[in-house]
Amino acid sequence: MPGGATTAAADPIILEAIGKRYETASGAVQAVDSVSLTVRAEEFVTLLGPSGCGKSTVLGMIAGLVRPDAGRVLVAGTPCAGPNPEQVALVFQDGGLFPWRTALDNVTFGLELRGVPAAKRREIALGLLEPMGLRGFERKYPRELSGGMRQRVAIARALALDTPILLMDEPFGALDEQTRLLMGEWLVGIRRRARKAVVFVTHSLQEAIALSDRIVVMTARPGRIKDVLDVTLPFPRDLNAPEVTELRAKLWEQVREESLKAMGTIS
Amino acid sequence: MTVLAWRLGILVGFFAVWEAVAAPLNPLFYIRPSSLPGALLGMWRVPDLPPLGEHVWLTLQEIAGAYVLAVAAGLWLGFLLGLRRTVGRIYEPLLAALYAVPSVVWYPSLMLFFGLGSASKIAFGVLLGFFPIVLSVLAGIRQVPATLVTVAQSMGARPFTVFRKVMLPAMASTMVGGLRAGLALSVVGVLVGEILGSRAGIGYVINYAYGLMMTREYAVLALLAAAAVLALDTAGALVEARVKRWAG
Repeated sequence: MPGGATTAAADPIILEAIGKRYETASGAVQAVDSVSLTVRAEEFVTLLGPSGCGKSTVLGMIAGLVRPDAGRVLVAGTPCAGPNPEQVALVFQDGGLFPWRTALDNVTFGLELRGVPAAKRREIALGLLEPMGLRGFERKYPRELSGGMRQRVAIARALALDTPILLMDEPFGALDEQTRLLMGEWLVGIRRRARKAVVFVTHSLQEAIALSDRIVVMTARPGRIKDVLDVTLPFPRDLNAPEVTELRAKLWEQVREESLKAMGTIS
Repeated sequence: MTVLAWRLGILVGFFAVWEAVAAPLNPLFYIRPSSLPGALLGMWRVPDLPPLGEHVWLTLQEIAGAYVLAVAAGLWLGFLLGLRRTVGRIYEPLLAALYAVPSVVWYPSLMLFFGLGSASKIAFGVLLGFFPIVLSVLAGIRQVPATLVTVAQSMGARPFTVFRKVMLPAMASTMVGGLRAGLALSVVGVLVGEILGSRAGIGYVINYAYGLMMTREYAVLALLAAAAVLALDTAGALVEARVKRWAG
């Protein structure tokens, strides 16, 4: 992990006191409030917090899909103005695969938009799908794949863009517990080779601890940063190690407090 | 395969029962199906009937014209209303209300505007075929998953690319259903238009035969028209199934 002394220009993501309000039928909702965060190159940062705490909104603002109404988002040192597919790739919550495209054609979608020639697109996509255990499934449609496979295709689609930044919005949220743990292990392997800055959104403590260099705990609405924890344990992580148990207890205490607040605002 | 066998069986049974019922009764009102092939063959030479080939050809042309116009108008208005929220919200209830009116009430006014010739038949075919198409486009646009649009946008897709690579495929199965229904209704519109008042076309010949009490000829023509509509719709169903398989 790079040290904290890197220059600002080299940092892939800088959030300067960003905020976002939504107008709803029942009045304005402050989804995110003065969130400041710097993600360093090749760093894996997890946003952890209760449902509806604005984690996904923060991700949307980094991706240029949501415009902040306060503060600034800098991607690769440049103020963010709209989607930036050269820098940022996204993995969506439910995968967001195109049902009318095969696994292969889903992975090549972004390359198609970039105007990469067909043969080259295919080569890149196959190069990504094979080590993901999807060899022989390139011609399958998303509905013919298991949940875990679909999610891997979605990740391959994002990796195909070969961006320095990868944003993942609860990518394993829809999977069962076992598949989820296995996908986490798999992602640890991927990210070491991929050398990307990753911002990962989840509400699973287990996932956050298994994957992150840093865990950012967010408060219930309005989403603010409650605490930032460095996780320095080596990969792959033994989730039964005493340090992990201790960390989990500490995280749980903080998340519990916020989840209770979130429940309070719901009822 | 068993389904096909059953269908064939039902069809054969239908004609058998028809034959049995009609046999002892007055052949002017109760036509026996066994007399139909002969009637069909004879019809090309019946001096009282207008030459059939020309009329069939005219009707086919009217159907083609009506369907092409219905598709063009339906797609145009559907996308106009569907992609511009405000315009859509103003006009969509109006459209739904118009759809609820039995279209045949407009036919007299179409005849006034377009005359007794082909134009009024085409206009009626367009009117009938247009509604399912425009409504399917509107429904299709509403069904496009917002996530998929966001996925494409996040990868830098511009509006037209989003339209072509995300919206159109996501809408395809709904839209193709509407296009199929529109085809069937365009055919119905043209035929009904011809029967209600015309000087040419298969509907005119049907009416003519009926008017002269040539009931055998009338029955053959009616059955032929039904078979033609069925064949067209089956072709439509095949296309629809194929598109649906592709679009998932």
